[in-house]
Amino acid sequence: MDDDLVIHSKGLSKSYGPHVALDNLNLSVPRGATALLGPNGAGKSTFLKTILGLIQATSGEATVLGLDIKTQGEAIRSRIGYMPEYDALNPEMDAIHQVRYSGELLGMNPVVALNRAHEALQFVGMGEQRYREIKSFSTGMKQATKLACAIIHDPELIIADEPSNGLDAKTREFMISTLNTMVNDGQRSVLMASHLMEDVERVCENIVLLHKGKLAAQGRIEDLKAIDKEVEIHVWGGATRLEELLRDRGFKVRREGRVMRVGNTQEHTTTHILQAASEVGAQIRRMHEYEASLEDLFLAIMENLGYEVKSSDDLLSSPIEARRVDAPESLGGGAA
Amino acid sequence: MSDEAPNEAEAPVTGQGRMDVAWGSDSGDEVDVAQTSAQTAHGGEIFEQKYTTWNGTLNPRWMRNWAILRHHLLGIFKKGHRPWSMPTRIFILIAFIGSLTDAAFTLLSSLIGSAEFHSLFGVSRDNLYGHVLGFFPRNVLFYPLVAALLVGSVISEDRQHGTSALYFSRPVSRFDYIGMKYLSVALIQALVILLTYMLYFMAEILAFGRGWAWMVDVFPMFLSGFIAGIILIITYTSIGLALSSVSQGKFFPGIGLIAIIFGSKTLASIVKNLFEREILYLLSPYDCVAHVGQAIIGTQQTYDQYPWTYSLVALVAMNSIALYILSSRVSSMEVTRE
Repeated sequence: MDDDLVIHSKGLSKSYGPHVALDNLNLSVPRGATALLGPNGAGKSTFLKTILGLIQATSGEATVLGLDIKTQGEAIRSRIGYMPEYDALNPEMDAIHQVRYSGELLGMNPVVALNRAHEALQFVGMGEQRYREIKSFSTGMKQATKLACAIIHDPELIIADEPSNGLDAKTREFMISTLNTMVNDGQRSVLMASHLMEDVERVCENIVLLHKGKLAAQGRIEDLKAIDKEVEIHVWGGATRLEELLRDRGFKVRREGRVMRVGNTQEHTTTHILQAASEVGAQIRRMHEYEASLEDLFLAIMENLGYEVKSSDDLLSSPIEARRVDAPESLGGGAA
Repeated sequence: MSDEAPNEAEAPVTGQGRMDVAWGSDSGDEVDVAQTSAQTAHGGEIFEQKYTTWNGTLNPRWMRNWAILRHHLLGIFKKGHRPWSMPTRIFILIAFIGSLTDAAFTLLSSLIGSAEFHSLFGVSRDNLYGHVLGFFPRNVLFYPLVAALLVGSVISEDRQHGTSALYFSRPVSRFDYIGMKYLSVALIQALVILLTYMLYFMAEILAFGRGWAWMVDVFPMFLSGFIAGIILIITYTSIGLALSSVSQGKFFPGIGLIAIIFGSKTLASIVKNLFEREILYLLSPYDCVAHVGQAIIGTQQTYDQYPWTYSLVALVAMNSIALYILSSRVSSMEVTRE
């Protein structure tokens, strides 16, 4: 197996009777931070349970950190840290003892577990609150405590299920920076399931996108986003004439008032735009490259390309009409 | 709007505001020097986020199981472990002290030297049975209530708080999870039932200076009572944990266990009195445990018209059903969502 992969699956399927939860998944999760995306019912939870070795796959094979999910579930769970989305803390316990107990459940000596609990809580910014009962914690503090439980044994792979869900701006920022610190300073891998694309973009380099149990897309975020670039211009005077001229020259143009987005599919697009503006006497007051957000990409794949797309190459070869931009519909957003 | 300038390149721009919008408010002749704010002083920062690695070794399965057992057992006595509620702890203490009354009376009888008093409370076949399975006060006021308080939340809290994820995302199997929770609850009950039973026996030995001959003579009786106590603990724990596994609160399992123990006994009594049919006692865990206990200790049997093996079979069936429910419910507990 490739040492750079933390998770690798081949033909992985899981069925519950007639319902297929995972359908022939062939995916490779490299070291570093990877986002696990997909709408509700896409199979994310089933995938997580399968790679944790908690449920048996119907067919196919997979490895996590080089360990077989079918036969080495316990060893896998010893080497990963799982941060669940939902509350998983006893509200009557102090944070320090809760984290220590989570370490003991991994097989840590109680004294060692207590020492590590102090370190883990300090790392997640809970050093001052560690002796408080969890029931007095805010959502952000509970999320931090769950993260401390997950990292107490310094796992190679941290699976964080919606780590920034329900947090206010400040604690969300801290959670994101904490995950980044683990990836960058700690050299740990993170598999992060989230619906908050902004957070995903800030933490992760790669995504795995599931849809109806199938792999919809996987790859580096930068590669996937590169497919949807446009040039946004703000035009003063002669906007209609400029729009018509650009269309005549084969550019995809979407316009709302003075704002236009021109498909950046040709070489020297900006030169062509400036030339056309000069010809029609229009002023270009602002021009910048517009890059689709991860959310645009997610919506584009989910709604237009569906699960037939297997890789970023497939996305690159798909027509631009199939994608959306994050502008409101009044500005030309929505399916083009 | 009518007064708005047309959007033409050659259209005149009028008014300072529009000029500002169009070309900026600067004259265009300024020296471009960046105006930066004064550097803010960094002081008083006490939090530095630093990831520390750990290269220790994780211990094997027995250590993880010991952690679960220890967590539940030590929670009765000290903070930092499973937080048993204060009423539970207080009641366990009351039940423990209350269960030692026969030991206290045994000591008292040795002090006052009354043979009659000793025959009431000292070690004998009936009194050994009474310590473990006697209806009042132990098996109506103490043991079922202790069991109900213990099982009330021991599994249901993991559903309620989602702490099942804490166990199952670790290398803890469901068998170990059930096994250790079961053992924890059983051991706490054993503290109240069997430890006090042993202390009672010890009190007799110490107070009356019993020798080896007496001990060897009485030991089979003592052992029978001990086994009866184990059967009682197993039955209450199995039923109680099964109820706890199907619930998300602590009230239902506790009250459910009490209802099953006393409800079935009451029902059997009503049917017996109304229809002179006693066979329904086989539905009562309390009566079945008592019947088996009476048989193995050798005291007078309440339901002597039926073989005690009927009760044993009924107990096996009750425990099997309870353990089946417990295992099937725990196997469906989720790690990702409950």
